[in-house]
Amino acid sequence: MLANILVTGLMNAGVYALLAVGFSLIFGAARIINLSHTAFYMAAAFAMFYLTVTRGLNVYLAIPIALAIVAVLGTIVYKLIIDPLREHEATVLIVTLATAILFQEGLLLGFGGHYRGVPSLWAGYTTLLGVRVTYQYLLTLAVVIVASTCLWALLQHSRLGIAIRATAQDREVANLMGMDVSRVATVAMVIGVVLAGVAGVMVAPIYVLEPHMWQPPMVTILAVVVLGGLGSIKGSFIGAVILALAEVLVVFLVPQGAFLKAALALTLMLAILLIRPEGLFGVLFEGER
Amino acid sequence: MRRVTCLLLVAVLVGSLFGASGCRKQAVGPPTIKIGIAGPMAFIQGEHHWAGATMAMEEINAAGGVQVGGEKWLIELVKIDTNEILSPEDAATAVERAITVDKVDFLIGGFRTEGVFPMTEVAMDHQKIFMIAGAATNELLVGRVDTNYDRYKYLFRVTPIRSTDLAKICFEMLGYTGAILRQVLGAQRLRVAILAEQLQWNEALIAGAQQMLPALLGMDVVGVWRPSATATDVTAELTAIKAAGAHIIFQINSGPVGITCARQWGELEIPAVMQGINVEAQKLGFWQATRGYGNYETTLNTYGRVSINETTMPFYNAFVERFGEAPAYTAGAHQAIEILVAAIERAGTLDSDAVVAELEKTDVIGPTGRLVFDALHDVTWGPAHVTGIVTQWQDGEMVVVWPFPGWQGLNYEGIKPYAIPPRVIQYWMSR
Amino acid sequence: MAAVKWVWRYLTGEILVLPTRLAAVLICLGLLLLPLLTQDPYLLRVAALASLLAVFAASWDLLSGFAGQVNLGHALFFGVAAYTSALLNLKLGLTPWLTIPAGALTAVLTALLVGVPCLRLKGPYLALATLAFPIMLTGLIFAFPSFFGGELGVSGLTRLGRTRVREYYLTLGAMLVLTTAMWKITESRLGIIFHAIREDEVAVRASGINTTRYKLLAFSLSGFFAGLAGGMYAHFLRIAGPSLLAMFFSFQAIIWTIFGGAATIYGPVVGVFVLYPALEILRVVKEIRMLGFALLVLVLLRFMPEGLVPWLEHRLEPECPRCRARNAFTRRACRVCGTAVRRLARRQEVAPPL
Repeated sequence: MLANILVTGLMNAGVYALLAVGFSLIFGAARIINLSHTAFYMAAAFAMFYLTVTRGLNVYLAIPIALAIVAVLGTIVYKLIIDPLREHEATVLIVTLATAILFQEGLLLGFGGHYRGVPSLWAGYTTLLGVRVTYQYLLTLAVVIVASTCLWALLQHSRLGIAIRATAQDREVANLMGMDVSRVATVAMVIGVVLAGVAGVMVAPIYVLEPHMWQPPMVTILAVVVLGGLGSIKGSFIGAVILALAEVLVVFLVPQGAFLKAALALTLMLAILLIRPEGLFGVLFEGER
Repeated sequence: MRRVTCLLLVAVLVGSLFGASGCRKQAVGPPTIKIGIAGPMAFIQGEHHWAGATMAMEEINAAGGVQVGGEKWLIELVKIDTNEILSPEDAATAVERAITVDKVDFLIGGFRTEGVFPMTEVAMDHQKIFMIAGAATNELLVGRVDTNYDRYKYLFRVTPIRSTDLAKICFEMLGYTGAILRQVLGAQRLRVAILAEQLQWNEALIAGAQQMLPALLGMDVVGVWRPSATATDVTAELTAIKAAGAHIIFQINSGPVGITCARQWGELEIPAVMQGINVEAQKLGFWQATRGYGNYETTLNTYGRVSINETTMPFYNAFVERFGEAPAYTAGAHQAIEILVAAIERAGTLDSDAVVAELEKTDVIGPTGRLVFDALHDVTWGPAHVTGIVTQWQDGEMVVVWPFPGWQGLNYEGIKPYAIPPRVIQYWMSR
Repeated sequence: MAAVKWVWRYLTGEILVLPTRLAAVLICLGLLLLPLLTQDPYLLRVAALASLLAVFAASWDLLSGFAGQVNLGHALFFGVAAYTSALLNLKLGLTPWLTIPAGALTAVLTALLVGVPCLRLKGPYLALATLAFPIMLTGLIFAFPSFFGGELGVSGLTRLGRTRVREYYLTLGAMLVLTTAMWKITESRLGIIFHAIREDEVAVRASGINTTRYKLLAFSLSGFFAGLAGGMYAHFLRIAGPSLLAMFFSFQAIIWTIFGGAATIYGPVVGVFVLYPALEILRVVKEIRMLGFALLVLVLLRFMPEGLVPWLEHRLEPECPRCRARNAFTRRACRVCGTAVRRLARRQEVAPPL
């Protein structure tokens, strides 16, 4: 039972973490709550479906194309819609939501409300601590680790990474130091949505594809990033693990209440938030002192 | 400059809207009966409402139309996108619009019970006949037609059969497969795990199964798992079910979780047979959606490759040929129109009350069986009437496995034997 | 006679001089007289629903636009009241005249329950924490399906009014009274404190004002208005279901408000009365209905980031650079102080005289 909970929980945590890290990065650098974040994840999954199933393209060729599509979409959305409105916080919230609906309706128009599946990158399953785990999940976990290591290296050791972190810490001072804050925000946005795209590509074979699939994970990753502390990459990881384990615990201990897992995970988030109002590893932003 | 572009954009947007509404053509020629087809048009259920209705309309109009009194009338369909999957409130507004703006005479459709309730209330307010083709809940008719006949007499159901009858088939099917399993795996007490989405419509079915399975079929219920209807991952549930040592997974799912369940059940090679109700497994797209992992998935169904009577296969084949999909139960809109037209012709008028009186006398042979409305205006279930069928996925084919030859003296042509996944036999024999 | 004279002077001096005020009065009159022109049940239904949703959106504006306590789960108050009214009506057989106020009171209690723990949270943390409450309540509703009816909700309630016209006047009246009440609140001393809390909470506290009390007051007032709308909505549709608690429903209130213009109260009302019928008109292009809606919101907000009403106000009623009074765009001189406005408004860099 314990092994079951640990293994399954860890697998789910990987997907949540990948989505949450991108969201956190965008929030940190561009200071926007991007409600269309999981819409990019959905776009990548559907791109995979279109390229591999409809077009019959090789999977390994399809992955970079799908990620490129997401990166281009992310740049367009940021430059065209978000950047000009950045001063108006609430307006940005609404336009990102409208963008997500736009994606949803566009896909509904193109693919209809049917449920779709994408072939696994690596079919089959293995037994881990007596628990059956599909290779696809293991692969996802590996990709999560690689992607986050790359991100960590980028943030810690490159000029761009330092610029992103500086902007996240204090926008005004970063600007005064001669950084092009707007460009940094654009780059952060693109990296963030590509991370979401990676999650979409990896998860497409596990989940069922349909044009509303962006909504449930949106709530989960919002809970994850709030729990971990907005803008904190480390926090996003730990938040993802906590929430995923909490959800799996519910399924195993109260099978009749498996549907309550989201509600209970959110209750946990609130409880932690009441003890630490800025999340576990939250950063205090300027102007919020 | 920016202001100008902005204004232009808005103008174009608004203009195109009104343009689209303005270029509606005015009908000329013979008078038309307007039938509103209400369904979630962006989804497969609504598509099949519309597809079934279109087929019926074309057949009837090609044959000259409907004889109302001394005149020939043509049928005109009005598409009502109820959006009921996303917003049940929207459904009522859509129907009211169809009645007052589009002036529809009759209504057919409905899918999600929570959307059908407000929709039918509006129809009853306007005293329009509403023929349900797609929602199984008993309470859509019970407690309405029987207790307040004058208000709700305009309500009929064509497909599917009511949920308590669906339960009867589920238990029949569990008994049938249970016997086969006992025979193959050697005599032992079978364990059943119930995997049902958390929705109200299957509550009664679950409670019934928990009581009936041990009492009537000699099976133990090892647990009930209730994922949300839109869950995208049930690995945890399936792992727990395997740990509980279940032979049979009794699933009751109408939402996309049905695909997730079937796919992960196949991919993780969970050693239990899966059957019950899975609305998603009734579609031909199921095989693609589960990437073939849904092999051996068994579900209740309405239409399949089986000759219930001489009308079944022609309808099924025509539908598949034209739309590339097996008809879902919402395609019962087809039969609803035929029944309605027959009643209108007998009544010789479009007056709702007169048509209701004729509808109540309906006794026709249709693709699902012999359809007779009972006192509740519901489909009569039974070997002599509509039975429903059970289909199983066998290597990419959706075949009919129940009613098995000899059940209640029935012997439909085209029934295939039920197949147990080899992995289940292997797993239990090696223990 | 004096009264008529006063009304006339008020009309010419305060209303006719400003195009937006004139438009507001004309639209209100038009809505009140609408049933004389047509009694089409569909049209009245759309207008009635828009009225109730306008109250809902305005109540979000009161809490989030004015007091700055951004609530992403506003549907909670609406839904709680709708369910309370529905259950009281169905299980105890109370009339809507009792169940709707009872629903509003429950919404106030809920608002306090949500508000107290959320007092510690600020900015995006508060926003995202409030998002959680309706989802938790939805879980509860699904956990006790025999009482709350699960996904089917609670249906078969008493109608709000016997006829559609009566229902229309009830909802329209409620909308006019409640939004005026909210507007008056924001114009009062209380409104100024709310505004100040949004701008700088620390400064307000430093001025010796108990901000905790005022924030809770903002939560309960907003809950009360949203609750009244929710109860009436349930009785109008004769059903209360879990979609009233859905995340998208909360977001819709925000879409309407931001679209119309936040922190104005009348902005959300305009937003609802533009966007809700727009969604109905879009029914003629069924396939792209929501797509068109999203595009409409995107394009308009892209070019009018402050919302529709403030954008129109800026165009139609430039502010006098000297005395800050608003003037119709047709005027050359300020109606209050006589300063030339037209040219100055065009070139705002010119310093006002004195």
